[in-house]
Amino acid sequence: MPAVKPLRVSGETQTESQTTTLTQRPWNVVVWDDPVTPMSVVVVILLKIFGYPNNKATQLMLTVHHEGRAIVWSGPLERAQGYCVKLQSAGLLSTIEQDS
Amino acid sequence: MAGRLFVRRRDGRIEVRLNDAGRAIAREAFGHVLAAEADPDHEWHASLNAPIDPSHDVDDPLATFNRQSEITSNVELAVATLGEEFLNDAEAWAWLCSLQIALRATITAKGLLSEDRLALADAPTRDYITTLQTFLFSLAEVL
Repeated sequence: MPAVKPLRVSGETQTESQTTTLTQRPWNVVVWDDPVTPMSVVVVILLKIFGYPNNKATQLMLTVHHEGRAIVWSGPLERAQGYCVKLQSAGLLSTIEQDS
Repeated sequence: MAGRLFVRRRDGRIEVRLNDAGRAIAREAFGHVLAAEADPDHEWHASLNAPIDPSHDVDDPLATFNRQSEITSNVELAVATLGEEFLNDAEAWAWLCSLQIALRATITAKGLLSEDRLALADAPTRDYITTLQTFLFSLAEVL
């Protein structure tokens, strides 16, 4: 019994740890580039929805423009969905993805 | 429609300087957004219902409902203020969101999702896109 019990406890602990790690991985809100949206419009939308300072919103817009996409926010799933919905409702191409 | 189309006044209001032709274009764009949200057969419908989480076959129903509500609220406010000489910030935001949705839906429906494809678009489509971009540039300056 004593030899078995620590092994079980160890296994349970490991599983619990893996589950916790999985559920705690943040969700990313991604904005994707397109060939028509004016850069200033992307900045205004990021300012309005996230309340970012102008230089951060501009930097994110430039990342979208040059790299094709940018992670504009990371955090819990429900908030990520909420932000993605707001971005899509403002006409930007946006999705969510779990951080790898 | 040269010059600034939307101007922030000293009292905080946003003056709309669109002429009748400009307002007609905005009316048409808002009308399409409103129709597309309700009609699954509308060519803009898919653009308004893009995936939130592409790794899942179906998005969270509450999230999609919230998106539908937000798009509809914005475009209804934009339609209601089409004839106004001045907009407040919430109304101007509703215009910007609805015009931006119209812009993206236009290129999505016509498959113009790259610079190369966009260059091959017919002249009326390019003119329409340029007009919406001009509206959006000017709105972004005052918001």
